Amino acid sequence: MSTIEVDRAAFLEGQLEPQPRRRRPKRKTVSTVIWFVVLLALTAIILYPLVWLVFSTFKPSSEFGSNPGLIPDNPTIDNYLKVFDGIAGTPLWRFFGNSLLIAVSAVVGILASSALAAYAFARIKFKGVGVLFAAMIGTLLLPFHVIIIPQYIMFQKLELVDTYVPLILPKFLATEAFFVFLMVQFIRNIPRDMDEAARIDGAGHTRIFFSIILPLIRPALITSAIFAFIWTWNDFLGPLLYVNSPEKYPLPIALRLYNDATSTSDYGATVAVSFLALLPILIFFIVFQRFLVDGVATQGLKG
Amino acid sequence: MFEIRKRRTAVAAAAIGVTAALALTGCAGGGSEPAATYDPAEKVTLNFAFWGNDVRAGLYDQAFAAFNEEYPNITVNSSFLGFPEFWEKRQTEAAGGGLPDVMQFDYSYLRQYSENGLLLDLDPYLGSTIETDGIAENILGIGVVDGTTTGIATSTNAWGLYTNPKLLEQVGVAGYEGGGSWDDYADWMKQVTTAGGAQGISGGTDWTARIQNFEIQLRAEGKQLFSEDGEPGFDKARLAEFWEQGAEVRDPAYTIPQQRLEEIYPLSGFDAAQTASELTWDNFGAGYLGNLGDGYTELGLVAPPVTKEGAKDLYLKPSMLHTISSKTDHPEAAATLVNFLVNSPEVGAIFGTNRGLPASETQLEGADLGGLDAQIRDYEASIQDRLGDAPPVPIVGAGTLEEKFRQIGQELGFGTLTVDEAVDQFFNEMDVVLNQ
Repeated sequence: MSTIEVDRAAFLEGQLEPQPRRRRPKRKTVSTVIWFVVLLALTAIILYPLVWLVFSTFKPSSEFGSNPGLIPDNPTIDNYLKVFDGIAGTPLWRFFGNSLLIAVSAVVGILASSALAAYAFARIKFKGVGVLFAAMIGTLLLPFHVIIIPQYIMFQKLELVDTYVPLILPKFLATEAFFVFLMVQFIRNIPRDMDEAARIDGAGHTRIFFSIILPLIRPALITSAIFAFIWTWNDFLGPLLYVNSPEKYPLPIALRLYNDATSTSDYGATVAVSFLALLPILIFFIVFQRFLVDGVATQGLKG
Repeated sequence: MFEIRKRRTAVAAAAIGVTAALALTGCAGGGSEPAATYDPAEKVTLNFAFWGNDVRAGLYDQAFAAFNEEYPNITVNSSFLGFPEFWEKRQTEAAGGGLPDVMQFDYSYLRQYSENGLLLDLDPYLGSTIETDGIAENILGIGVVDGTTTGIATSTNAWGLYTNPKLLEQVGVAGYEGGGSWDDYADWMKQVTTAGGAQGISGGTDWTARIQNFEIQLRAEGKQLFSEDGEPGFDKARLAEFWEQGAEVRDPAYTIPQQRLEEIYPLSGFDAAQTASELTWDNFGAGYLGNLGDGYTELGLVAPPVTKEGAKDLYLKPSMLHTISSKTDHPEAAATLVNFLVNSPEVGAIFGTNRGLPASETQLEGADLGGLDAQIRDYEASIQDRLGDAPPVPIVGAGTLEEKFRQIGQELGFGTLTVDEAVDQFFNEMDVVLNQ
């Protein structure tokens, strides 16, 4: 066990005193304590907005503006009750469901299509691979705003506006060049010896992809899943353009309906629903972050 | 090797070009030909879009239910968003040819959409499908761009001065009477701030941060902000003079400091019960009461300070309009819906002043106004002598300039800009917006 790990374990248990057996120099302990105090202070500063959000969900709307502090003067759970009622006859869980449907489909689509595309780019020699790869990277350089209108016109002509197809279909077509690129780089780092060994044993591309490449790029898949989920969950512009019916709105759009600049804004409800909208992402991140670390740790190949 | 590499680059560039071209094709071609006549037996579905919150959504639902009792064959699919998102979406739809059939519309976008041929010419329907008996000539004139009527105002607002009687009582200062000179108003704010300073209450906010206050001063002098052709009705010296007025009122002895305003943003000082007065559109009252909370039940609404006695400095602005997409398949049915939303007394009874004070007499009669709503109605009647013709439909980019004016006002409030720098910045921005 290395010294660093022992330090960490000791601190986690709150035992800052040097262990008699170890006879560590005292100066080191002092500097570590200072280090931790600084880190804690920084964490507090960074976490404050989040904590403020949580506490503010218990403030009545009229208290925003008069009480910028952390603790509500008249704590209430009305904000939550109101938020659970939903908007304009659509209950809140419906917006959660819509967001979840879009985000999960997007994750599945991106993982499936990007991994296949990346395998082709990294492992198969075909005519025009260089050109196509350059074109794919080109789409990364293309500002999103340039393609909004042509894309809208396409889906409008196909009469797919006000469905989730424009939001989900592109994800299944490996149009997210960022993820393809990420996986290509990952696959390129995997030694070709393994493919070749499999090939000698008679495996085709399908077998190599599923049995060798896919298990080895797990960390890249997990990273992609995390990013894809968070990006789609928070995506505002896509659903704004393609979804018309209020009962099909995902959370980010529903959230904005509580906060209308031209009439009364319900700040209490806004913070409450913002906090609720944040929870799934937070949970998703905490759960998958562990896999991410695992993935990186097991990445090194033996031999 | 070098040769091959060069060729590769060229091919790659071509590939990118082709990808872009592929993405761009499909924009050509217009919508289908609209059916010319309206058949009461035909089943018609109209898309309707508005901005607002769920309170307004509920009111529209009631209005559509009333509409369907009269016109069961027309189904209305409505969708709603907040104001900025509403316009973001419309801009994309406008470019893609997918605008909703009927829209709640804002004055500041009317010129842009009309000039681009996106809105249906309503003249053939006026006086027939869309009744005009109850709508005053100067209100109908609001929706005319370059000689063509493209929008019908649902309701009107006027610039006014809101005061908070409860706060004034708390600090022991009498409410502002309305009118008076700008100096009178400044003195009154100073009085309130002096009395209420200990409780964190200021008399008001710096009026020079709002372009509308500049506009009413210009109108009093017989000028306007921008002509129909987008020519500014003021020079650098006049704008500098206006912002110099603020030098005095920006002092914390008069108004709420800019820093406090930033802390409570997006609420205004008036929303947060930190200022006792605010110059703004008269339809903001309900929002203020909502944000102030249960402790506050009434507001004062009086006329803004007078720049020049007897001048027609104020005007009625449409708080919103209804427009029809030029590509709608059912123009007759759409016009029928617009007529119902603008003129029907039932809609008046449903909305009250949620969309502003109803512009149509018939709708106003149907509205049962009490409290603040009645106050707004009486206010708009009381300023009749000061009401002049509405300015021309705002130039394209008016919204951007209004926002820039507000930002410069903030910086003046922080003291990070001098008046001369501020004037230069605004003229530069005007140059960009007006000559693009």
